[in-house]
Amino acid sequence: MRSTQFFTGALAALCLASVTPVFAQPAGPVQPEGLQPFPLFGSSRQITSGTAFNPAISVILDGKYYTDNRRGEAGEIAEHAAGFDGHHGDHDHGELSRGFNLDETEIVFSATVDNYFDAMLNLAVEEDGIEVEEAYGVTRSLPAGLTLKFGKFLSGIGYINQQHPHDWDFADQTLVYDLMFGEEGLNDIGVQLTWLPKLPVYTLFGIEALQGRNEGIANTIDGIPGGLEGSLRDRSGPRLFTGFVKVAPDLGFDHALQLGLFGGGARLHQEDHEDEILQGDTWFAGFDAVYKYDAGRSYGHGNLTLQGEYLYRVKDLRVAAADDLDEIGEKEKFKQDGFYVQAKYGFAPRWTAALRLDMVGLYNRIEKDERTEKFDDSRRYSANVTFNPTEFSRLRMQFNRGDIAQEGGGRENYNQFFVQYQIALGVHGAHKF
Amino acid sequence: MMSKSRIFGWFLMTVAVLLLSAGAALAKTEVVATTSAMGMLARTVGGDAVRVTVLAPPDRDAHYLQARPSMMVALRRADLVVAVGAELEVGWLPPALQGAANPAVLPGRSGYFEAAAQVPLIEVGEAADRAMGDVHPAGNPHVNMDPVRMAEVGRALAGRLGKMQPAAADTFQANAEAFARQVQEQLPRWQSKVRGAPGVVLFHKDANYLMELLEVPVLGYIEPLPGIPPTARHLESLVSQLRGHQGVVLYVNHQPAQGPQFVARTLGWPVEALPLDPPLDADAQQYLVLIDQWVEAIARGKGK
Repeated sequence: MRSTQFFTGALAALCLASVTPVFAQPAGPVQPEGLQPFPLFGSSRQITSGTAFNPAISVILDGKYYTDNRRGEAGEIAEHAAGFDGHHGDHDHGELSRGFNLDETEIVFSATVDNYFDAMLNLAVEEDGIEVEEAYGVTRSLPAGLTLKFGKFLSGIGYINQQHPHDWDFADQTLVYDLMFGEEGLNDIGVQLTWLPKLPVYTLFGIEALQGRNEGIANTIDGIPGGLEGSLRDRSGPRLFTGFVKVAPDLGFDHALQLGLFGGGARLHQEDHEDEILQGDTWFAGFDAVYKYDAGRSYGHGNLTLQGEYLYRVKDLRVAAADDLDEIGEKEKFKQDGFYVQAKYGFAPRWTAALRLDMVGLYNRIEKDERTEKFDDSRRYSANVTFNPTEFSRLRMQFNRGDIAQEGGGRENYNQFFVQYQIALGVHGAHKF
Repeated sequence: MMSKSRIFGWFLMTVAVLLLSAGAALAKTEVVATTSAMGMLARTVGGDAVRVTVLAPPDRDAHYLQARPSMMVALRRADLVVAVGAELEVGWLPPALQGAANPAVLPGRSGYFEAAAQVPLIEVGEAADRAMGDVHPAGNPHVNMDPVRMAEVGRALAGRLGKMQPAAADTFQANAEAFARQVQEQLPRWQSKVRGAPGVVLFHKDANYLMELLEVPVLGYIEPLPGIPPTARHLESLVSQLRGHQGVVLYVNHQPAQGPQFVARTLGWPVEALPLDPPLDADAQQYLVLIDQWVEAIARGKGK
């Protein structure tokens, strides 16, 4: 017994003595001469090619050839789908021109800051400027499965919302996200707290307090344009609050399923409708589902992904400024919904084919003081074929057929065609779920 | 009627039993291994003192997995992550770790252990140029195919587990030594089996450690560059280089068969598909059987 104790004690002493060398191992390659064991407890190092205090850097280039049968106005038609024509935000996201387009180039830096934080910066470089897509810190030491994220980030609501364009299975954003939140989805400044309790089934809870700077549901207007009279409310941030739950049962190595519920509300939303400015509050709710099948074959052959999301949104607004003072205070309540479902299948090694159905405005009305306007739904059908030569490059051909309801009745159709390339330089990307 | 104190007594006993059983359950170190070979090592070294969960099934290429939520569930509960490392799991282990919100098992902490960081690697410092395919400049990550290195990794793992459960530290060391002894006992047999083997053509650089250990030449690869599927032109040039030589074409079960079969057929060589990892719940014996299979297959290259 005593000898065991002595041994344990000696071992403990050795442990202490070797802690320093464990972490002080040079990061450089070890000469493969003879097999010498590393210190007693084994190194905690991670062998990687690009660390040494520098952030991991990756650059993703995205370019498209685009054409449509509406003289380049197809995107414009979709933006003005009946019932969704509310926001005239100052977000002027470049509609694609017919012909060659250089889409945003993403530059991503990420690193561990210190013992307590990781950080990442995602810049979208376009020909006419740089936009900060994401810039956030995230804790790495909180107990009890808690994680705090702060800065500018893509909200955790839904499934596709956290994906950057290079993660999408299509060349363009889903119609429902585009029309409700804008092309980038819900991307705002604030804090996010998530909690992953120790449960046998993956269950993630999250809440967010965000500044409220989203063209679709939490827009603010600086001042009343000339010619209009009234007054705008001013409210300090955070103005937008969201919450989400994601659950993923364990279905073994071949199958994975994740279900999500989410919602949120904004304390202030202002919209410029040219002859009047509306303001009020908004809320939204939705659910998402993703199923993935891993066929276990090489280069993604036989893999299947099914995903879908449904969103419902209410904007409870009143006229805040108009050229006619009598209109001030009149109610305009927007209620709309929408969903998308899509499937992607690896029909050959390195090749995938995908189909998508977008529908918005299944429930589509604007309730005004005197009457309720009801609108038709709008649809878009998409299909694409994608070739992934390696994990670092991608070529895609996509066709969209839009069937868009018009505000004044009637429908507009369009066809869109994309050829897209995406290439990634730098560190190996993550295969996130 | 039971008296109040009696009920209270029962209650206390129940609580005590529950606490004890919870304590017994807590006593096990929760190990999450990325591949079944690493799971085997954790099981071999840790014995009854560990509970092992494996994230990647053995019939799949560990390069290309996706970070599934169930991985995060396992990592959330883990006391120790045992990875192959050297960027083999680069696509999915970092995001899974990030999603798991478990600071104890992050790289650099005592709950993170990768095999590649415990032993010297081969092919270190090759050009970090993706024109050369999906290269690993930090070195070839597939150390699990070298039983001698695995024994070394086992010793380091015993040290780490011993730090977590000091009471069982010497058991872990003894287990690791027992495994190393088994490997050393087999080694001469493996070496004599493959003596004079002319060499192998592999699909990917995934068995190079074994070939280096047994001094078997690697004559070529079915894929033109790491991670790139074989092309007709590459296969033809491979065949023309190797015509007149002897050898055997070896590939891994999850790799496509056409290329290896074509090369073997054209050269008149034997060809064999083998597992790269032992079964999901493998013990040391099954791992050694896996190496045996490879040794037998290499020896087939000698012909009759």
